[in-house]
Amino acid sequence: MHSDKKITKEDTWRPADLRKHIREEDRGDPYANRRDDNERKHRGGESIERRHRDPERESRRQREKPRERESTRERRDEDKKDRYAERRKEGSQDRRGDKERDREKRRERDRFKDENKHGDIYRENRDRKQDREEKHKRERDKERQRDKEKEKVRERERHNEENRDKRREERDKERRREERDRERERERRRHEESGERRRDQSGKHHREERDRHKYDYEDKRNDKEIQERHGDRKHSERKEERECKEKHKEERERRHKERGHYEEKRKHDGESREHRDLKGSSEEVRHHRGDREQTEGDKHRDRRHRDEEDTERKRRERRHRDEEDVQRKHRERRHREEGEPEINNRDKTNSKKSSSDKNDEKNMVETEVANDEDLADQKYEDDFEDYEEDFEEMDESTNEGEDEKELLHPEVGEEREELTARRRKEIEAIQRAMDEENERVGTVQSRQSTSREEEDGPKWSKGSEKNENRASQRGKFIDFVAAKQREVSKKVATKQKKRSAELLRLIDLDFSTTVSLFDLPPVSEYDMYIRNFGTANTKQAYVQCNEDNADRDVQTEEIEMCEKWTQHPPEHGGACGDPNLSLEARDKNMNDMNFDSQRLAAFLRSASQVMIVLLEEDQAERKSLRKLNSQTDTLSFSDGSLQLNTKLPFLYGRQISLLHFSQVQRHTMMSIHMPTMKPSAVRLDSCTIICIWNIWEPSRPQKVLVYESEVQCCCFSPGKAILVFAGTSVGSVVLWDLREHASNHYSLKIGEDEWTFRQPTFSTDAVMAGSGHFSSVTSVEVVPSTVAGAIRPEVPLLASEEELSGLSFQLASLDESGVLNFWVVVELPKGNEAGSPTDLGLRPGGKVKLLHSSSLLTAERASPRGAMKTGPLQSLLLKFLPTDSNHFFIGTNMGLVNHGTSHGLKAPPKFYRCQEVGLRPVDITSVHFSPFKQHLFLVGCGDGSIRLHAVSHEQPMAEWTDGTAGEPVVSLQWAQTRPTVFCALDAASNLHIWDLLKNDTQPVVTERMNADRVTAMALFGDSGQQNTYSGIALAHESGKIEMQYFTRSLTASSSAEEEKLESMMTEAF
Amino acid sequence: MINVLQQQTNRFKSAIVKECVREIVRERLSGLRYDPEEVPELSRSLAEGIKDKVKDAGFDRYKLVVQVVIGEQRGQGVKMSSRCLWDADTDSYAEDVFINDSLFCVVAIFGIYYY
Repeated sequence: MHSDKKITKEDTWRPADLRKHIREEDRGDPYANRRDDNERKHRGGESIERRHRDPERESRRQREKPRERESTRERRDEDKKDRYAERRKEGSQDRRGDKERDREKRRERDRFKDENKHGDIYRENRDRKQDREEKHKRERDKERQRDKEKEKVRERERHNEENRDKRREERDKERRREERDRERERERRRHEESGERRRDQSGKHHREERDRHKYDYEDKRNDKEIQERHGDRKHSERKEERECKEKHKEERERRHKERGHYEEKRKHDGESREHRDLKGSSEEVRHHRGDREQTEGDKHRDRRHRDEEDTERKRRERRHRDEEDVQRKHRERRHREEGEPEINNRDKTNSKKSSSDKNDEKNMVETEVANDEDLADQKYEDDFEDYEEDFEEMDESTNEGEDEKELLHPEVGEEREELTARRRKEIEAIQRAMDEENERVGTVQSRQSTSREEEDGPKWSKGSEKNENRASQRGKFIDFVAAKQREVSKKVATKQKKRSAELLRLIDLDFSTTVSLFDLPPVSEYDMYIRNFGTANTKQAYVQCNEDNADRDVQTEEIEMCEKWTQHPPEHGGACGDPNLSLEARDKNMNDMNFDSQRLAAFLRSASQVMIVLLEEDQAERKSLRKLNSQTDTLSFSDGSLQLNTKLPFLYGRQISLLHFSQVQRHTMMSIHMPTMKPSAVRLDSCTIICIWNIWEPSRPQKVLVYESEVQCCCFSPGKAILVFAGTSVGSVVLWDLREHASNHYSLKIGEDEWTFRQPTFSTDAVMAGSGHFSSVTSVEVVPSTVAGAIRPEVPLLASEEELSGLSFQLASLDESGVLNFWVVVELPKGNEAGSPTDLGLRPGGKVKLLHSSSLLTAERASPRGAMKTGPLQSLLLKFLPTDSNHFFIGTNMGLVNHGTSHGLKAPPKFYRCQEVGLRPVDITSVHFSPFKQHLFLVGCGDGSIRLHAVSHEQPMAEWTDGTAGEPVVSLQWAQTRPTVFCALDAASNLHIWDLLKNDTQPVVTERMNADRVTAMALFGDSGQQNTYSGIALAHESGKIEMQYFTRSLTASSSAEEEKLESMMTEAF
Repeated sequence: MINVLQQQTNRFKSAIVKECVREIVRERLSGLRYDPEEVPELSRSLAEGIKDKVKDAGFDRYKLVVQVVIGEQRGQGVKMSSRCLWDADTDSYAEDVFINDSLFCVVAIFGIYYY
């Protein structure tokens, strides 16, 4: 092909054109490179299209040439038009190809515009400014080049086989040239920068350049019109083509706009391009104009010359050539589309012509550019053309070398047309190879595009052909870069393919077994719950039921337990560790423990007493009935009697010295059994035993009290009989707390019965030596707490109050020497089992003790004379006024009862004496206050006289001196139920009962008991509403105690009795 | 063509890779709570980190594919499995699973030998 081109160029082109053409080439080189770069950047993967376009470009260029060329080329255009017409006739194949080409052309043109943007400035600057200079240089360069190329051509002719290598060398040379050009360019650019044109104007330049391009189009059109005016046969066809072309141009522009903002800018600029052109680029324009004018000067001349001289010849030639070209091209295309076979058929001339044709085309393009330059319009299209050419030169460098060489031939002569056979063959070979490739791709491409093309319709067909030519022309250079790249990539690909093919033979690809990367089982609701809330204050507990888990261990077996021992006291049976005790019993016991033991104990105590009393009564009644029968004979006053069981081993042989009844608990009596000289079974001989009796329970004493020495006197505590006080012959005062538990005392089993002998709770023995008594205590008496005259017997329940309020009362004790001691009875809240370290007289565990309060010496001499006569005064008895505890009365051995007060003024009378004037040594043996008239008291004397005193008078109310027949009075007591009755026991064991109401001069009853002497007696009785009884307890010498109940006459009181006493008082005073 | 020796010496060793993964995953995820907004970025960065680390381990002839899946743990069941078409002689994979109270993370690394 290229060889053809060369030939035709040589044929048709004149030397001047060629020169211009060559200059263009030179100038274009640097841009070509630049564009190459751009292409490489912008188009990575369009290699197929590019390659495909190679032939199309050529044809397109051929077609375009007429349009763009000036008048000199008109003929050629016409020829081409002929050719088009012919081609159109030849069939749809061509058209289709043309259409494809057309489209491609359009596309490529668009692309070019993009690319040209970058290069435009430089290019145009250079073009405009230094056109002339460049031309000279270029001409020089071209001439040089031409020379070189000529030489090379010759060499190549010699070494046809080595063509390619040489071409490469040529290419290198061209590159060198291009580099040189580039350097020049750079210099130019520098000039420009320093010169009028500024960088900041570049935008404008751009616009202007673009505008210029537009103008170029118009110019071209004008050129064409000119060509049309020159007018030949194909004029109308050409017009049509041009219209189409214009449409295409518009399309192109539209596409440009669509492509990007650059394009848009351009578009906008295009709208205002004329204004700008006029205003902004005046310099440029001027410059251009200048250039143009200058160049035009030459070129117009050339053109004119050419036009005039060559038109006819050229037309002829062109027509001739075009016809040939058309035929050839048609053939070629057919070759491409149908395959290789035709290539073989092609004769040498054909191939030669086609190649020359192509060369011609190329040259035409080049000249066209040169003309454009000459015109100095610097058309947009020209720029493209330049680039295309540059690319052609770059890409098709293999061919170019030849082309350029052969370009020279036309100048030399037309003999070159007849190339050597060798050469032709070579060219043919190359051509064939190219065709093959093109066809291969072309078929693919055409197939793709046909469908689209057909839609465009016939209207487009002509124009499209032309445009396609252009497009193909443009696509040509792209193809080669891509081809290279593709070649490389294909190489790599094939290499890889080969490698992979080989590898795959060696490698077995297999499916791996499905690998489970992750398997997270779903969490059950329960686990989720536990996970979320399981740790928050909850605990998971497991329950096992025996039935459900038959095979699992169940820890529900009975635990064997055995009670081995206990530390509790043995009286609690439930806690004593008896393994045989059932749980129920233990529980019961536990329940019992929960009872109010105090209340229970109290209840049991009282209940048992009641029961015992009832039983005793029953028994005693039977006895007494029996005895009554016997005793009624002896005792006239007795209504019946019962005997206390004193036949106890420890009481055997003891004489009873004293009997005493409690004033509150009238049925409680105590008897003092004197120590005995006779040995007995019980070793308590030297001890005094005090028995506490309940008169209704005569079988046995309730309590047995023991004291080591002789007890002289005793008394009960006020209120309930819980304390017993005693004064001893050794001068101590002792007390017993009857509430103490029996276990705390020494118990002795005598016979069948067990007896508890209670030691005194508190004793002043040697403890209070300083404040105690130094002589035997003759009397102990409770100081009445009530100052007011409350009647005690009528308040029997007072005891409980006292008990509750605690024991707080005073005790007075009188010894023989007349020392009166007052003691305070104190009850400790808690007993100390270990014994008190401070209260040495307190028995361990005892809770009641005596505190010494005060001491009083009462032994005043009544009269000095009497004292001298009778010796020291002895205090024998102590009594307190029941209504006023401040007053105490002490019976002396001088027959007087001293009256004293414990504190305050002394109250008259000072003492109470008998009616006889003068003192006589007579012991006062007993003093007793009347329970009814508490200011009256009886005094019994040792001489057997009995006096009745009123507290207020010194003299007695009445005095009976012969009542006992001279026998000393042992005991004298008022009866408890009758105010006027009292009893007196004399030493001769005669009991005298006085009833003042009946007889106030002598006793009404006198009983003599000679068989068993009575050593002590006490009156008892209760004036209670339901059961009024009274009696006398008689202690016999033998040790038995007999209770004699008074007859009704002695028991039932009358109102007259007190009046009797009153009258007696008034009588006496 | 295939350097068998190199293959043998420089093979993709699952244990080593797994150790790398385990280390990096433990470091990055321990004590972390699932946050749907953070997790996509986290998994991406985790995959990058693992890839870089495994690359440093020197399997220079291997193409590495790292897959990181992080999901919230709410008691649901999760099943993940993989299947590969590969040369079982040279290619291998390593996987590691990290689970805490709030999330689970599955990392799978496939090493494909590059001939």
